[in-house]
Amino acid sequence: MTMLTLTINGQPVEARRGQTVLEAASAAGIDIPTLCHHPQLKPIGACRICLVEIEKQRSLQPACTFPVAANLVVRTESPKAVSARKFALELLFSERNHFCMFCEMSGRCELQQLGYRYGLNHFMYPTYSRQFPVDTSSSHITLDHNRCVLCRRCLRACSELAANHTLDLCRRGAATMVSADMEAPLGQSSCIECGVCLDVCPTGALFDKRSAFMGKPDQLGRIQSVCSQCSLGCGIQIVSRNGFTLRIEGAWDSPVSAGLVCRKGRFDALYDDRVRIDSPLMKVNGEQIAVDWARALGTTASRLQQVNAGAMAVLTTTRATNEALSHLAALFLDSLGCFNAGILNKTAPALPGPGARLCDLSSSDCILVIGVDPARDGPVASFFVKRAVDSGARLIAVGRRCGALSAYADTVYEIDDVAAALAAVGAARKPIVIYGAAISRTTAAALRRLPEQVIFLPLQPGVNTTMAASIGLAGRADITAAKLLYIVAGEENQDFRWLLSGIRADAFVVVQASHGSDLTERADVVLPTAAWLERSGHLTNTEGRTQRVAAVRKPCGNSKQDWEILCDLGLQMGLGIGDLKAAVPASASHFG
Amino acid sequence: MSKAIIATDWLAACAGCHMSLLDMDEKILTLSESVAFSSSPLTDLKQPPETGVTVGILTGAVSNTHNIAVARRMRERCQILVAVGDCATFGGIVAARNLVGTQAALRRAYLETESTIDGRIPDSPELGIPLDTVTGIDPVVKVDVFIPGCPPRADGLFYAISELLAGRIPVVLPPVHFRYD
Repeated sequence: MTMLTLTINGQPVEARRGQTVLEAASAAGIDIPTLCHHPQLKPIGACRICLVEIEKQRSLQPACTFPVAANLVVRTESPKAVSARKFALELLFSERNHFCMFCEMSGRCELQQLGYRYGLNHFMYPTYSRQFPVDTSSSHITLDHNRCVLCRRCLRACSELAANHTLDLCRRGAATMVSADMEAPLGQSSCIECGVCLDVCPTGALFDKRSAFMGKPDQLGRIQSVCSQCSLGCGIQIVSRNGFTLRIEGAWDSPVSAGLVCRKGRFDALYDDRVRIDSPLMKVNGEQIAVDWARALGTTASRLQQVNAGAMAVLTTTRATNEALSHLAALFLDSLGCFNAGILNKTAPALPGPGARLCDLSSSDCILVIGVDPARDGPVASFFVKRAVDSGARLIAVGRRCGALSAYADTVYEIDDVAAALAAVGAARKPIVIYGAAISRTTAAALRRLPEQVIFLPLQPGVNTTMAASIGLAGRADITAAKLLYIVAGEENQDFRWLLSGIRADAFVVVQASHGSDLTERADVVLPTAAWLERSGHLTNTEGRTQRVAAVRKPCGNSKQDWEILCDLGLQMGLGIGDLKAAVPASASHFG
Repeated sequence: MSKAIIATDWLAACAGCHMSLLDMDEKILTLSESVAFSSSPLTDLKQPPETGVTVGILTGAVSNTHNIAVARRMRERCQILVAVGDCATFGGIVAARNLVGTQAALRRAYLETESTIDGRIPDSPELGIPLDTVTGIDPVVKVDVFIPGCPPRADGLFYAISELLAGRIPVVLPPVHFRYD
């Protein structure tokens, strides 16, 4: 790594060869204003806001693209640079609609910030106010071309980060517009609504429909957490106002997802309109009635004490936190000696080696996808795969289960030809195999025989499946003989008919759940639990990384956190697992 | 020392900026020690006196010929002209009309709304003639101080007027008072 020294504003600055003037300046704490630049995207020098004066250069240069060189003399605030910057800004403001008072982004708009910084208090040029369309065809994203400054951040994020290549530019000159699939309405385009364009847009050209006009930045709370919708554990920022969750944004500093979120995590999770259970329920004379916690827990405890361990079955959702899972194991497996326990989804088998992480995909030259549909089961993983394909990696898909990613595959093998696919992977330099729960035992065995340069990335179904497996909860329990069934269903949203049809008619069923379902209707006791925005604790993602999830509001009604209910139940039975309450990190019970 | 005289008037405005002036509450009393308010759209005296005023405050955008006349009259009769609010500085919400065009806006407003029966675009000779393009005041008359904001906060207006009274021109609004919304 060659270091060199340049001078910025009279101050000597150390920089690495290959860095830009902007990067060197910001590392040295020197602020250069930008607009089209975004740290996650490749610089293009389009907006001219970062113009700086560089000695021996014929004209002003954009700091975001100008490479550092030894003995470069840069002035970021020279009168010439500042006046050119202001000129560029005045031109930006004179085109289209940049009136802040009725814009959703006012208060967090980068163009507005620049206007303030350079004291722009009236237009210097006649304004050009041709009307552009407002595209509201997408279910979650509004694209208002009138507010667009053509910085191209959205289309770069769409291509470079989500690797979806939906957005591009159309037309020319002042009529240039951001366009989805050659001028298709966004809602009918190839857009997958991952929403990364919302997180990068500097103005009010792209904004989230649900949270639009619901609050200015100083009225909003922002909590860093981890998405609980699949096993990837992407970093998210939960934006809320007075306990009402407005929107989810990606967390750029997430070690897993580096700012990306998918439609499921960003939007769908906020539109869950199932009925919440806000009080313990108990079946009395065949009818479910609301009862207090003491009665519900007392009944459950005495029933548990009447049944021997062999007649018990325990099932849990993998949406439960590490804390809930360990309390469940401590109570049922360790204390009560129940050996018939399982989870509500499948588990992908463990394969040898240290395991790959999502970020490793970018340096892989060959990716094999088998037994899983990443675009459906862990969409952000599919973004990383497509990014790798864009930068030259070979994608091999096996079988029909690989879903939308198959379209990007170099070769799609039938499941019978798995040997040929594995041979191709084995021959690569840095191959990664992404696999899911749908692989057969034979395939798993074949994967284990691959040469050691092959690393594996499981894409577990469910959410906290990795943690569940590590404490012995994998696969389904046998419920057909159980006289007492304890089900931690949480906010599991699946068709429970497979489960209901297996339960003995005379079995006593206890369900911990946040939402009503046909399962809670069958239950003899329902214990209401906190949903994802209301619970705190930790989740272990499919890479094996344990991350903290934060609560943004108090549990609904009388509901409690999963681990708390299990603690209380243990206490009620005199089993002393209540001590575990102390083992839950203090941070886990904090409402931010 | 004689008091500085302030006159205000509005062009194509919603009155919000004048409300903001009144929002100064008791600070108006502080101001009135060194300032005399002359004409305003809210007082009996509507037009600035021909003898002239020290500070003329205009709110609202220039959207018709009448607005131009009012702006010119204020310019002629004041020493320092202050454009207050987003409409007076940038065209503001009135300039949203530019996105559809004046004629289309008139048709929509007077002929095509869902509740219109026998609509007619007003054409009384007493009315100003709508301009093709709405602008702030600056393209029509020279403006000395610009205070954007929708509306500018009362504290921002108090700050700006105090600066003027202290003889500090140009008025540089600190970030807390420099707002577009």
